[in-house]
Amino acid sequence: MMARDIIAGILCAVGTFFFILGTTGLLRLPDVFSRLHPSTKCDTLGGCSVLIGLMVHSGFSFDTLKLLLIVAFLLVSSATCGHAIGRSAFVKGIPIWKKGLEREE
Amino acid sequence: MHTSEGSIFYRKIILAAVLFLFWIVLTSTLVPVNIVLGAICSAFTASVSAAILGRVLDPQITLGVILRLPIFAVRLGWEIVKANYDVAKIIINPKLPIDPRITEYRTYLPGDLPKTVFANSITLTPGTVTLKIEDDKLYVHCLAAHHEEGLHEGKLERMVAYLFGVRKDA
Amino acid sequence: MHNYLLAVAIIIALNAFICLYRAVRGPTIQDRVLGVNIVGTKTLITIVLITYIFSEVHFLDIAMVYALLNFVVTVAVSRYLETEGWREAG
Repeated sequence: MMARDIIAGILCAVGTFFFILGTTGLLRLPDVFSRLHPSTKCDTLGGCSVLIGLMVHSGFSFDTLKLLLIVAFLLVSSATCGHAIGRSAFVKGIPIWKKGLEREE
Repeated sequence: MHTSEGSIFYRKIILAAVLFLFWIVLTSTLVPVNIVLGAICSAFTASVSAAILGRVLDPQITLGVILRLPIFAVRLGWEIVKANYDVAKIIINPKLPIDPRITEYRTYLPGDLPKTVFANSITLTPGTVTLKIEDDKLYVHCLAAHHEEGLHEGKLERMVAYLFGVRKDA
Repeated sequence: MHNYLLAVAIIIALNAFICLYRAVRGPTIQDRVLGVNIVGTKTLITIVLITYIFSEVHFLDIAMVYALLNFVVTVAVSRYLETEGWREAG
């Protein structure tokens, strides 16, 4: 019982850390395309980590399967959302940020 | 892919099984009434879907793909962890060492479904985001030079080819 | 464990609030869509955490619907921005 809570706590902490990282990246990086990177990767791993932590915390039941479904959906949807936004920015011809070429943030 | 009568029936069975599992997860009970109702509903949906949608399941989805999916998921999960470590290093670094570029990548994977899985895997792995797919050409945004090299090694493509049982030829 | 999950939920909610900066300020429309998408993902995780904090198992269904809605909204709006209308994109 105790070990399960500790594992769940660690996984939740890791997830929260990646969420904070994703937020930092979203605020710091210079253009749309770069911002897609933290948003797709860190949010996916952060979310999956917290959800898996909760799975460990709750033990096996039907709710665990529902959480697993949400994890699978998050893996698919997060990448697809990034792809859709990137595609719309690319088709609209938004220029990519280059080093030394400072633009307004 | 040829669509003979037998293979359509086979794929209907797979679809019905997936729908039934989904039903069980959503109702989250094991009451006999629910199970019988779910079995009837999923069998009916699977048998009717061919007439409504024009096809049963994507012909690329076979039993082998479903069986290989867990192995692929574990390997992809490891890649995602590495990707996050990489992006974390870049974001935390106060100098922000990025050098973004858009690169083109040609893939030999056939069909829409393998290409979709490949594009999503690229998005989830180190420093690369797929922007657009034109036939077999992918436009990929890379965060730094070593990400571009990592993409052109083609490790991910081999993983997806393994998942769908595609062999590289021509 | 209960208080710990509550703390995690509060931190994630604060994170979502900070992400709104990008949705309000973002120079291009795509930035705003991205910001809203991320706020949606964080809200989803917060809902799942609330499920376990208050032991309300039915919230999981709401979380699933929220995940679907978040996905559909983002894809539809990006598609709309890409084509400037509802015609079929190639």
